Amino acid sequence: MFKRKKLNKMPKLNLIPILDAIFIFIFFLLMSAQFLDIYEIGSDAPITTTVSQPKPDKEPLNLTLEISKQNVVVKTGLDGKVFKRVKTDNLQALNDALIELKNKHPEENSAILKPNSNYEYHKIVKVIDHTREVLKADVFVTAVDEKKRRYPSKVLFDKIIFETQN
Amino acid sequence: MRRTFTRKREKAEPMELDITSLLDILVILLVFLLKSYNASNLKLDLVKSLAIPDSKARDLGAHAIILQVDKYNNIWVDNKKIGVVSNGAKIDSLYDFLKNKREVASTDGKKKAKSINLVLHKTLPYKAMQGVMHTSALAGYTDFKFIVKGNY
Repeated sequence: MFKRKKLNKMPKLNLIPILDAIFIFIFFLLMSAQFLDIYEIGSDAPITTTVSQPKPDKEPLNLTLEISKQNVVVKTGLDGKVFKRVKTDNLQALNDALIELKNKHPEENSAILKPNSNYEYHKIVKVIDHTREVLKADVFVTAVDEKKRRYPSKVLFDKIIFETQN
Repeated sequence: MRRTFTRKREKAEPMELDITSLLDILVILLVFLLKSYNASNLKLDLVKSLAIPDSKARDLGAHAIILQVDKYNNIWVDNKKIGVVSNGAKIDSLYDFLKNKREVASTDGKKKAKSINLVLHKTLPYKAMQGVMHTSALAGYTDFKFIVKGNY
């Protein structure tokens, strides 16, 4: 005689508590969702002072980007010496020039922007993007921390200052 | 003898719902919402006729006074129309409004904020930006935060 094998029934999982948790989580996410992905670019108004300051040991980089319709002129030093002139349709060249400058001046982190009065905001944002960080994936620059220790970084000149006075 | 046929009532088994497809949908929704979750406390309500530019910046925005300029050069502060941009020069209506807002904040005992979120239309010329920044700085808001879109 064949004995009928009893089939072992799989025990069913109780999914109700997990479903409750997922629903609460979804409500929370839906309530706090903002479907526009927004970020910020920080910039400070230039500070002017009439108090004479002691002369620094090393001449500051004083990086200035003069932006016109066709070119971005990279100027350095207090006398505004032209370091490089790049086309506005080839901003990667600007990024490369700034990588070179950052490696020479790792302690500097500010750039002054002087756009042409008719230059559009979205184009200025593109220039800022190419000024703030290294865009090539495998390239790093030297940065210096507060204790003068050097380390590899992607940050170029992230302190953007606009010329606001007429 | 009378035989009574009292049929034993069968215990009704609870109806089983197949929730597999529902679970699939919930998981997809959860993944989508988690992907689009933004931890920033900046809540932005864009005015009409304003498109913000794309950027590679990934710094999260923070709560501060929101100044918007649409494509018709109208200025809005906290969704209230203040005036129109004048190129490069000080904008008196904006200056008065910001100055007043700053004074009200200081009388409330709050710390005077320096930050201002600038939400500008992407084709706005620099001279218009200059006017807004110059006026904001004069009113005491010197820490500009340009709000940009991250979908690059």
